[in-house]
Amino acid sequence: MNGKVSALTGQGTYFEDFTVGRKMRHARGATIDEVENNYLSKAVVNTAQSHWNEHSLRGGSSPLGEGRVVFGLITGSMVIGLTSQDTAENAIAEVRLDKLRFTSPVHHGDTIYAFTEVLAAEPSPEREDAGLVTFKHWGVTHDDRVVFEGERTVLIKRRSHWGDR
Amino acid sequence: MSDFDPASFPLVRHGNQFQDFEPGQAWNHHWGRTITEADNVTFSSATCHWNPLYINSEYAKALGHPGMVVNPMLLLCTAVGMSVEDLSEAGGPFLGVEDCRFLSPVYPGDTITARSVVLDKRESSSRPTSGIVTWQTTVTNQRGEVVLEYRRTNLVAKRREA
Repeated sequence: MNGKVSALTGQGTYFEDFTVGRKMRHARGATIDEVENNYLSKAVVNTAQSHWNEHSLRGGSSPLGEGRVVFGLITGSMVIGLTSQDTAENAIAEVRLDKLRFTSPVHHGDTIYAFTEVLAAEPSPEREDAGLVTFKHWGVTHDDRVVFEGERTVLIKRRSHWGDR
Repeated sequence: MSDFDPASFPLVRHGNQFQDFEPGQAWNHHWGRTITEADNVTFSSATCHWNPLYINSEYAKALGHPGMVVNPMLLLCTAVGMSVEDLSEAGGPFLGVEDCRFLSPVYPGDTITARSVVLDKRESSSRPTSGIVTWQTTVTNQRGEVVLEYRRTNLVAKRREA
């Protein structure tokens, strides 16, 4: 690669920056529509037509509401994506997800915002150049409904080893 | 040939219902999926997940990979997607995922398949027309290496007894 890897990522997202209890409200939200749910649900082989057949849920008979319901893991992926620059820009690897909950249906046109709290920050038993950070994430709609919660553990570079590489 | 009468065509059904699941039963899911570089960049872009590991091949090589890494959220979404027809298409809302572990990196060009085992089924106290089923899913690449494991729980509709 031409130049240092550290020049391509932010300076405030090394392992040393994540102290337990730190909270973050992420700046960018994203509206879920045709590409995010309709296309991606099909691209990941999700055959449940409630995600991509607008007609199938018309008529008010579904407890999920009117129109296509967003695949829960698309909502979860969007929440994690919206957090990624602030949480995992200096990640070496995603390690684990746990306690993922899809707490309220999301529909096309809904906008998702993301929130994070640092639950744990520990040395990696396998690598001295990185540490394991566990985050709790929340996804919230424009109208203040919590639609997603989950915990996520990421292996993150230590500044001491990667900050000038 | 007779006039077209849609009511004369029986529906070709897909998916399983609560009564179809028993603990210990295994499901080998359909199709498999080769994850392409286009899939990876499209997914990462559409979910605002602009991590250079998933969108910059040279950066990924500098971190020890042969090239761009597949976004682990795309891997998880694809694994769940392949399992939907067998496990949840006829069912109901997705309730949760537990202990999802990304065990080995996946690269564009890799092909994944998924298999699930029924761990548990129980009644829903709030919805008598549905039950709750939990599966353990194992995701494997083309070399037989396990790349992802997780438990998933869904509300699953019961077949109405005649």
